[in-house]
Amino acid sequence: MSPPLRVTKKRGVKLAEDIRTGVFVCDCGSNIAGYLDCGEIAEYAESLPNVVFVKENLYTCSEAGINEIKDAIKDEKLNRVVVASCSPRTHEPLFRESCAEAGLNPYLFEMVNIRDQCSWVHMKQREQGNEKAKDLIRMGVAKAALLQAQEPIQSEMDPKAMIIGAGISGMTSALALANRGYQVFLVEKSREVGGLLRNLHKLAPADVDAEELLTKQKMAVTNHENIRLLTSTTISEIQGYIGHYDVTVSANGTEEKFGVGVIIIATGAKVFRPEGLFNYDGKRVITQFELEGLFRTKKFEAKNVVMIQCVGARSEERKYCSRICCMTAIKNSIAIKERDPEATVHILYRDIQAYGTENETLYQRSKQLGVRYIKYDQERPPEVQDEAVKVYHHLLGRELELVQDLVVLSTPLIAGEDNEELSKLLRVTLDENKFFLESHVKLKPLDFATDGVFLCGNAHYPATIREAISQALGAASRASIPLAKGMMTVEPIVSVLADEDACRGCGLCEALCPYGALEIVRTEKGRKVRVIPVACKGCGICAATCYVHALNINSYTDQQVEEQIRAFLSG
Amino acid sequence: MCTGRVNPTMIAEAFINGADGVMVVGCHFGDCHYITGNVEGKIKVGLAARVLDFVGLHPTRVSFDQCSSAEGERFVNLVTDFDDGVRQVGPLGSGDRLPLPELKEKLLMAKTALGSQKLRWVVGKFSEFVTAGNKYGEVFTEHEMWRTLDTIVMDEVATHEILRELERNAAAVKDLAARLKLPPPHVLRYVLALQRRGLVRLEQVEGTSPRYKAVELEVDAA
Repeated sequence: MSPPLRVTKKRGVKLAEDIRTGVFVCDCGSNIAGYLDCGEIAEYAESLPNVVFVKENLYTCSEAGINEIKDAIKDEKLNRVVVASCSPRTHEPLFRESCAEAGLNPYLFEMVNIRDQCSWVHMKQREQGNEKAKDLIRMGVAKAALLQAQEPIQSEMDPKAMIIGAGISGMTSALALANRGYQVFLVEKSREVGGLLRNLHKLAPADVDAEELLTKQKMAVTNHENIRLLTSTTISEIQGYIGHYDVTVSANGTEEKFGVGVIIIATGAKVFRPEGLFNYDGKRVITQFELEGLFRTKKFEAKNVVMIQCVGARSEERKYCSRICCMTAIKNSIAIKERDPEATVHILYRDIQAYGTENETLYQRSKQLGVRYIKYDQERPPEVQDEAVKVYHHLLGRELELVQDLVVLSTPLIAGEDNEELSKLLRVTLDENKFFLESHVKLKPLDFATDGVFLCGNAHYPATIREAISQALGAASRASIPLAKGMMTVEPIVSVLADEDACRGCGLCEALCPYGALEIVRTEKGRKVRVIPVACKGCGICAATCYVHALNINSYTDQQVEEQIRAFLSG
Repeated sequence: MCTGRVNPTMIAEAFINGADGVMVVGCHFGDCHYITGNVEGKIKVGLAARVLDFVGLHPTRVSFDQCSSAEGERFVNLVTDFDDGVRQVGPLGSGDRLPLPELKEKLLMAKTALGSQKLRWVVGKFSEFVTAGNKYGEVFTEHEMWRTLDTIVMDEVATHEILRELERNAAAVKDLAARLKLPPPHVLRYVLALQRRGLVRLEQVEGTSPRYKAVELEVDAA
């Protein structure tokens, strides 16, 4: 069946700089060994400089495999370990930990991915796959020799949070964190809390009264001993990084400074005002937002209502779908029909988005109540006249004239005007529509790429109240992780000022750092750059830029990378 | 490793060690895991490509491309096309403007130039100048930046070549000009600039022509 697994020990070899590297080649069952000749690869690894021990494992990540690494570190006095197996994404932490358990600094470990990069992509090219695996291992071994021990970076956390924006998202996040016992600064630029919720009527799908919800949350926020609510307050400066943000706010011309450890952006969004579209005048032709206002103030008395969807959305200038306007229209059409079954409601739409069971039920209910849906073509938009709306019926293939005494335009939510300024202050990213952009759609939907800053609600993208609340609770939960830890431990693969004397404090690197992880400080030796390791992500832009070569990246130094390049080309 | 980590000297190092081509593939703009790493990466690779091209390397040998981890087919096509291109040019030294021994000399010098202050300073300011602009609010187009860089590349490469020659032997401007195939007035300007920076000194005057020599810099014992 399968060939015997190879083990080699070289003894009594005089080694340069006493580097003793062990190489573990993983078969991954047949995942690697089925397509590559692992025995041959292991044999090749023996010939590489500084390699004193080579072992082929059936599964290096199995308990047996891990024990073999640990034993070899002790028995063979290995001071570098190279595992040639799968992806570091999944297995590097495990192997590092195993090294640490055996007393070897985990950063003296190097991983080579011969599964994803060789056996998987070269399944039908055994020879070339083998050669590539050898190249990669040669490079890994070469780099390993230059690796340096690193210690994890620790930093204290200021257990306080700032939440920017006191709409429903901000208030929910604030309460969640405050109830967990953290001090919260809730900063709101307008005089009142509540944001868009202040102007809404009933909230779908359960017909919750918006005012009731707002009053309840407002009371809770105002009376909470852990929340400091700062209204009519704008943020003028934010300095620092996760654990240590220095915030300067100003209210009515007076400045105040405070420190926080984490920040949640809950700045919400604005309703797009459709000036110049469909004869919008705010009286006969209004927005859904204004319709809710009429409901609230009980001034609604129209008999024939025509709603037009996607006004100023999914167009050339605003390509995105605001997502919540279909549901708003459906909800409001039901409200009209329930008040007055005789009233007519036409919804002119391009596509209806009513996701989730409850919204779908509401959609069906509106149809049962007699709301008429007419699909229109973007190329032939409806035409609003004094007492009627003309629309070309897509399916009938002719123009209809609908009588109206009120036209309601469904307009999208658009990004707040402060987003750009705030994104610069916090060094977080915006998407092409100026909404805040999360770190990863699936893996980190409520985090930013910058540690310690989180987002929720409309600041991210148009959301229903319910979604905003879920996101707010999620963001509070994410933010509470570093808060709860008190002490932060960060990967030491970060930028280091390797040559302090060379640094001239020019600030070139500081300007390019996407994370604000570098600062120029005055020292006894003059102006020098200082790396803030907890804020640094190790991208390496600074090291690739520095013109005096003073900066380097731990575990990815210029010397290590160039050694890999040379090792590759020496094959 | 982020493309933002790619030090332009690394690319030169690969060719010095005999690589036939260097391909740097990063994320699409807006999708960078490190926010702006790919933007910087493209600029740095662009600089390396220009300097190496200037010293005689075939431009096909360096490329910067973008591809997401979900675009397997695109990646295969990019690599295949690049590989085809390099194969057409041939092994290092064959399709280039100089044959191998001379080319290698020039590549070493290109690496020095890519590690030197002036080029790195301008490249470090590149993205700032094309977005926010300089101290006076003047925003430059990428084209303008590259054109500026091209002239700096010319100056830097010539300066480093002259310095290299003068480190070996003292020489007069006209000899240097003949050896480096550069107009004598240009060489004189570079030599005088080097002299002002204290890197070159007047060794002796031979007939009517002064001969210059590189100043041996004291190496720190540390």
